[in-house]
Amino acid sequence: MISAYFIHLGIMFGMYALLTLSLNLTVGYTGLLNLGHIAFFGIGAYVTAILSPHMPLAISIPLAVILAAAAGTLLALPCGKLRGDYLALATLGFTFICGSIARNWISLTRGALGIAGIQRMGSNTMIVVSLLALVLVVYLILKWFVSTPTGRVLQAVRDDEVAAATLGKDVFKHKILCLAISAGIAGLAGAFYAHYITFIDPSVFSINELILLLSMLIVGGLASLEGSILGALILVLLPEPLRFIGFPSSLVGPMRAMIFALLLLLIVLYKPRGLLGKVDLE
Amino acid sequence: MSVAVQLIMNGLIIGSIYALVATGFSLIYNVTKFVHFAHGSVVAFAAYIFYLLIKLGLGLPLSIILTIIIASIFGAVIDWIVYRPLRKRKASAAVLLIASIGLMILLNSAILAVAGADVKSIPITNPVFDVWGARITQLQVIIIAMVFLLLIGLYFFMKHTKLGKAMRATADNNAVAQTVGINPQKMYTYVFMIGSGLAGVAGILVGLEQNLFPEMGTSMIIKGFTGAVIGGMSSVPGSVAGSLFVGLVENIGIWWLPSGYKDAIAFALLFVFLLFKPKGMFGGKS
Repeated sequence: MISAYFIHLGIMFGMYALLTLSLNLTVGYTGLLNLGHIAFFGIGAYVTAILSPHMPLAISIPLAVILAAAAGTLLALPCGKLRGDYLALATLGFTFICGSIARNWISLTRGALGIAGIQRMGSNTMIVVSLLALVLVVYLILKWFVSTPTGRVLQAVRDDEVAAATLGKDVFKHKILCLAISAGIAGLAGAFYAHYITFIDPSVFSINELILLLSMLIVGGLASLEGSILGALILVLLPEPLRFIGFPSSLVGPMRAMIFALLLLLIVLYKPRGLLGKVDLE
Repeated sequence: MSVAVQLIMNGLIIGSIYALVATGFSLIYNVTKFVHFAHGSVVAFAAYIFYLLIKLGLGLPLSIILTIIIASIFGAVIDWIVYRPLRKRKASAAVLLIASIGLMILLNSAILAVAGADVKSIPITNPVFDVWGARITQLQVIIIAMVFLLLIGLYFFMKHTKLGKAMRATADNNAVAQTVGINPQKMYTYVFMIGSGLAGVAGILVGLEQNLFPEMGTSMIIKGFTGAVIGGMSSVPGSVAGSLFVGLVENIGIWWLPSGYKDAIAFALLFVFLLFKPKGMFGGKS
């Protein structure tokens, strides 16, 4: 029983670590304030949940990743020219639109009822081991990627977009690449979520989840991959004591959201670089 | 035919409430130059305060006045606690936006924790009229009249009073306004009080016309913000026109789409305008 609880925490941590790492690529390294990240997670979860009854997971999960990455590309195409708060608002609009579609395209998504009975990926132990291994792999790949010439162009785009363009770098293409990679990883996290929880509904697109991701990212610090892992770990563990204090269950949800929102506010107000951050949020 | 009249009426009624939200929002945006996304949660907060005061038996007139006062003080407190320290640090508009989204979630969750998830409604007597085959309630007539009186009053306040002119000066050019002795911090406090007071009125009207639920603030800011963006964020009359447009489009849109898509229509409008016409319907190129 206790080990089952820790396995669950491990899976939650792994999922959020994947999401925060990939969000850091867009927000921290490329400087794109992307509030559509949770939508890619939702798209990944929905794609594999809808497809998996008709095909093996070995096909439906990669398809989930590809479609999430395609959605990222699609979002980057019109939004590539926007900056700062306008980009944030347009991508936030994208999250809302995805949530609306999930709620209303009932023949495909079963609307607010959600999709139940999704195929399990395997035993929980197998899920936690593969997920944590995946976090390590993604961490190492991203660590390598940001030091490659392409990765350095992304950081140049963040620091000075005009200068990067002056040096002949195709800023727009790099932004698309960054969003596609980041969205693909988020889609993979979504696929794990769907095949672990075995139920999804439109609340995966909720703005509360988005705030949770932003808190993890900013607590850990921008442009620090270690920070993202640390941020995910801290915020997954932080609300756990609420479970044991014995609040009525109707209060636990809102209290969790309040803790995350308050933490985000405090960090933005008093420690804008987070724990391990290398750049400021702009 | 009567269905069309009804849909247009419904659109105008809800659109005028959105206009109130959008006006407060764009006033704040123009003077402070950042997106105060928690503005919708101030509307929700006011609606719940109003509900509470009515339940306490304070009567309609006193509850209305107290709600507006509490909402406007609440707005000033938000500015003082959250936004002022960020401005002092010269944080960018994007950071202020993130803070305001955090604040919105904090307020929504606080309402959910205190008031519960169940939908609440405020009982009032509300006779129904027949206008060109459409059913309009007395409250809806009052809503439209009140919103337009308020907006006209606001227009004269901004155009002809000293304080209104000082606010517009801060909005136009903060540095120059300071050199002629206008204290920007004071203007920020005033604009948050006025904007949140308008949000208070919107909260009361929404509370009476529709039901109260903890997430209502998110929906209100999306509609109000969309209206403001469509009308051009720097123009208050534009925000009003944009909000009426949002109300009309989402109500007429459900002729073709299932009513669940009502919100999606507003998001799609927002997305399209942010991408292609960020200065609004009447604005020039970005």
